[in-house]
Amino acid sequence: MNVLVFAEVVENEIQEITYELVGKAKQLGDVTTLVVGNADVSNINSDVIQVDAGEPLPWHYKIVEKVFEKLKPSAILFGNTLTSIDIAAQFAAQLDLPMATMVTDISAKDDGFVATSLVYGGKVLVDLALKSPAVFVVNRGSFPAEEGKGSVGNVEKLSLEELGVSDGIEFVGYIKPEVEDVDISKMDIVVSVGRGIGDEANIELAEELAEVLGGVVAGSRPVIDSGWLPKTRQVGRSGKTVTGKLYLALGISGATEHVEGVKAKNVIAINIDRNAPIFRISRCGVVADVLELVPVLIEKIREAKG
Amino acid sequence: MKICAVLRVVPDLVEEIEIEETEIVPFAYIANERDEHAVEEALILKEKAGGSVDVLGVVDEDTASDVDEPLAMAYAKGADNLIKAILSRKTFRRYEVAKGLAEFLKDKGYDVIFTGIQAIDAFAGTLGGMLARCMNLPYIGGVVEVDVQNGTLVVKKELGGGLLGEYRVSTPAILGVVSAERPLKFVPFAKLKKAMKEANIDEVDIEVPEIEGIDVLRYYEPPKPEITLLEGDPEELAEKLVEVLKEVSVL
Ligand SMILES: Cc1cc2nc3c(=O)[nH]c(=O)nc-3n(C[C@H](O)[C@H](O)[C@H](O)COP(=O)(O)OP(=O)(O)OC[C@H]3O[C@@H](n4cnc5c(N)ncnc54)[C@H](O)[C@@H]3O)c2cc1C
Repeated sequence: MNVLVFAEVVENEIQEITYELVGKAKQLGDVTTLVVGNADVSNINSDVIQVDAGEPLPWHYKIVEKVFEKLKPSAILFGNTLTSIDIAAQFAAQLDLPMATMVTDISAKDDGFVATSLVYGGKVLVDLALKSPAVFVVNRGSFPAEEGKGSVGNVEKLSLEELGVSDGIEFVGYIKPEVEDVDISKMDIVVSVGRGIGDEANIELAEELAEVLGGVVAGSRPVIDSGWLPKTRQVGRSGKTVTGKLYLALGISGATEHVEGVKAKNVIAINIDRNAPIFRISRCGVVADVLELVPVLIEKIREAKG
Repeated sequence: MKICAVLRVVPDLVEEIEIEETEIVPFAYIANERDEHAVEEALILKEKAGGSVDVLGVVDEDTASDVDEPLAMAYAKGADNLIKAILSRKTFRRYEVAKGLAEFLKDKGYDVIFTGIQAIDAFAGTLGGMLARCMNLPYIGGVVEVDVQNGTLVVKKELGGGLLGEYRVSTPAILGVVSAERPLKFVPFAKLKKAMKEANIDEVDIEVPEIEGIDVLRYYEPPKPEITLLEGDPEELAEKLVEVLKEVSVL
């Protein structure tokens, strides 16, 4: 079968998730990767169709539609990212194709597919049966990227004019993240607060803990959205990825969009809910109320440091 | 500007949810968080550009009354009209919902329709983009800010990793909001109670078509974490944590 992968391109660079998708797609059939823009495609381990259309835009579902007509793929894979989801949902609706979102696994079955999705904030898995052709929006990190890397096969270049698609939304420009006092992605020790911290006043507790550990404070989206911490401190899909030695998660549930940004070597999570998904990525998990435990922990750390 | 915001309810994950093979049985429903942000951004756009905000609560028969409070909340914050769209049947397929809603929305003349970018139960599509194709309108998701310049929307979209993009979008359009540009307005309980009494909610029935191609095989719990969770009194736990911090050479 033919499988089409829609490449994730940000600022003209192929993102790692593209290789993850290509790797999985190769298990399913013959792969073509569709790349919008002029990024270097030489490491994509498949054939490529490259369309000179600038930055990926939501209305580029029209490009996918044209390529779909040409290749007649059985499966079309997109990354579950802020760029690709806009395109995927419109493409599926435009062509009346079944679509699975938040996908963590795909297999071919009979004349269709079985997909697994991780939903409800990471608390539920659902297996879905989809008829072919089908659209899959796959979570980052679901498949190894190695299989998708190699040397590119045949590269076909197409222009927007050849595809005959027209504009709908206009790209004005990028707005780079503000440069703050600290870059949490570069810090070794990050104490991160989630909605479970309860109140803005309790952020102080996390700050004190970060201070005794020699780290900095970060947070999950609801904490940032509430204005309790600056935007530059957000961990996750929309924010930064932490890669240091320790990530200490206080009252964070561990939704997919959050854990995408947690690549620290050691994760310690404190959560009142023993079923919190954050425990699945933790080296150490503590079932406790952060407001009760953290003050005692600060004292014990001080004692240990002497 | 005639503005609409879609508001859905989803299982409250703070409460227990029962996972059965054929369905999810929540203990309670709450407003979908991203939709709350969509309503907020709709109200912010009204402040900037004038006009009115209609909030469209999308429910099925089982959840019909669960959206009353979130709708009243929107009213308390400044929404002009509240509509409850009751779907003719429960469905997990966003495309079916989009088709049903498009039929209702197509002749309402909205300049901008806001939806949350995604709901926590969205495993078969996302509403905004699908609604856009059913209505033949432009769509952009990941929206965190909306302004109007010379009659055109100027939208900021998240691209991940802190990066934003700026886009010009002609109206009418559908916008998928991830977060409003300011924190959700706080509504004191007394004001919410008053709104619950005063707010008038119109009801409309939405016929949901049946579209083949995707079925749920089963729902189930993800595997348990491989680690042993620590439990006990704070004193004991704090001591154990200090040991772990030493193990990972943080202390
Ligand atoms: C497109 C998109 C992008 C997103 N990007 C991001 C992102 O970059 N970063 C991000 O974080 N999220 C992001 N999200 C949101 C994400 O889906 C979750 O909603 C969010 O991560 C939840 O944050 P939380 O864990 O703090 O809150 P919740 O999910 O509400 O969890 C709170 C946790 O605190 C626990 N708790 C409560 N009280 C206590 C207590 N006293 N002691 C201990 N534990 C307690 C609860 O058990 C619960 O597990 C994004 C969503 C979308 C749709």
